[in-house]
Amino acid sequence: MTEFDVAGVGVWSEHFSSWEQFCSVLAGDVSPEPCALKPETIPANERRRAPLSVKMAVEVMDQACRSAGLEPAGLATVFASVYGDIQITDYMCRTLASAPRAVSPTKFHNSVHNASTGYWSMATQAHGPANAISAYSCSASMALLEGAVQAVEEGIPVLVAMQEMASLTAFKPIYDTEQALSTALVLVPPGSCASAFATVRLATSGDSHDYPDLPATADIDWSDNFAAKMLPFLQVLATPGESRLHMPLSAHSSMSLDVTVHGAAEQARA
Amino acid sequence: MRIAIGTYTATSAAGIGLAAMWESLSARRTGLRRNDIDGCDLDTWIGRVDGVEDVSLPSQLTHLQSRNNQLAWLGLQQDGMLESLTRLKDQIGAERIGVIMGTSTSSIGRTEEAYTQLLPSGFMSEAFRQPQVHNLHSPGHFVAEATGLAGPSMTVSTACSSSAKVFASASRWINHGLVDAVLVGGIDSLCMSILYGFNSLELVSANMCRPFDRRRDGINIGEGAGYAILAREDLLPDARFRLLGYGESADAYHMSHPHPEGKGAVMAMGQALERAGLSPDDIDYVNLHGTASQANDRIEAQALAQTFTGHTQASSTKAWAGHALGAAGILEAVTTLEAMTHGMMPGTLNCDEPEPDSAYAVLTDNVERPIRHAMSNSFGFGGNNAALVFGQAHD
Repeated sequence: MTEFDVAGVGVWSEHFSSWEQFCSVLAGDVSPEPCALKPETIPANERRRAPLSVKMAVEVMDQACRSAGLEPAGLATVFASVYGDIQITDYMCRTLASAPRAVSPTKFHNSVHNASTGYWSMATQAHGPANAISAYSCSASMALLEGAVQAVEEGIPVLVAMQEMASLTAFKPIYDTEQALSTALVLVPPGSCASAFATVRLATSGDSHDYPDLPATADIDWSDNFAAKMLPFLQVLATPGESRLHMPLSAHSSMSLDVTVHGAAEQARA
Repeated sequence: MRIAIGTYTATSAAGIGLAAMWESLSARRTGLRRNDIDGCDLDTWIGRVDGVEDVSLPSQLTHLQSRNNQLAWLGLQQDGMLESLTRLKDQIGAERIGVIMGTSTSSIGRTEEAYTQLLPSGFMSEAFRQPQVHNLHSPGHFVAEATGLAGPSMTVSTACSSSAKVFASASRWINHGLVDAVLVGGIDSLCMSILYGFNSLELVSANMCRPFDRRRDGINIGEGAGYAILAREDLLPDARFRLLGYGESADAYHMSHPHPEGKGAVMAMGQALERAGLSPDDIDYVNLHGTASQANDRIEAQALAQTFTGHTQASSTKAWAGHALGAAGILEAVTTLEAMTHGMMPGTLNCDEPEPDSAYAVLTDNVERPIRHAMSNSFGFGGNNAALVFGQAHD
């Protein structure tokens, strides 16, 4: 049994760019305008070089820290994604197939899976542990589990980000989604943070469970987007009272999450 | 923290399995060779593992075909690793054993190959439609499938610190009681992304790499696969070594250049010592990141000088197998454990003219001396740092 609190939350897609807007979408409203992405945490000169994957991550990590009322420099980070920056992967593979010596050094160093935590640490002067993980279809579950275990074992707040970009043509036979989605949570040891608004009791078991059905988010079709597997948990966080959900850890194991929401997440943006 | 280390193994250009690796280290014989990769015209040296392309995956794993997974499978065959895992599964159950693999580039080599054969539609052709291969979790997924371990499985990808950080996550999982044991490891294989990518940053040497030598002029790319069983102490009464501490930090400085004063490196080493409850002079030997890039070696020496007093010996073993990136952490952790086993510190190969301005003198010749406590350093792009401290189990 692992008990932890949730103190902050952040979310971005082309259809919502704040927790408040996400809650509106859950209620059936969709923003008429595509949501721009311009995370101001990254200095302007770095922002020009930062790839889309990094901007997606930093936007929600910043939202989650503001929502928790915590200085970003004091948090450990766990970034999770199945495909990382699929645009850079596509660029690298295309360039290597045609003119390998033309590979851009900036694109190459931005291709590491931990680029988002790298830019985040530079922007916030966070010197703490920075992890970048993947667990294919169980990535959303493992991001939560890894972050929760780290928060409890180390006694520190952990910023957990999970995201996936829209797919590109070459990948579509194996991974098909038109939607990009990034999410972030601040997980803290129980009772350690005044802004905590939910308590979670997590237990693993040998029971087989798939992810819960995705919440109705108007007409948005998440298709294969693995980050959308985090949305049922976010929906629970937007629902006062007690809820239980299951998330898979493998084909033969899962975790149950008993969530008590005793407040509302602070708005990330005033 | 007290985590027991059971069976461990390493496969790299320095040798397939521990015996071959130790023979290379003892004889000071490099495994590096001139670049001979098909389709790569770079003038450099590489650490290539012989015969990887000829490794056949078991029939139930052929859908996971990639060079990276072939190397992973070759590495799993060595030093009785699969037999040890079978015994541990019988003892505690497969679901109580987790899998955490480190990698920098996963099976990107397979994706590169797919892009040379795209259909007119732009889609990957049929033969390459392997959803569990073309993503970051390919190594973790493959190893879990290949070993039948059924606990939580995850892949860490933080560039060149990846398979050092797996020790930190595994320690937390075991201490927390999430699982009783974890197979940790790392796999990275030679691919075009890495060779041409490091070439674009002008970090690849046309010569054999020369860590901490005044003439050093860049890195050699290598490949490797390594594994170690970590478990609760009571499960491995015969374990010879323990993981005593780990440190994880971020430079918060630059994507591809280390912090000029080695701030993150100093933090990681300091945290690892603190967790181990040891003072700097307790560490007999440090296996360095020591890539032979101008910046890494200069700054790592500065970080050592800020952490250690000169009593502690330190060396880089990169000139035996090259820089295996996401697999470097596990390869060098295993090298450190073997140094402790044999009571021999491998002196930095190819460091014939040590950097006169180095802030910390590194060992250049093999020295026979008992090692009670040792450290292994791994630093990566994104300013991502990890340090591990190991000790003798029956100390």
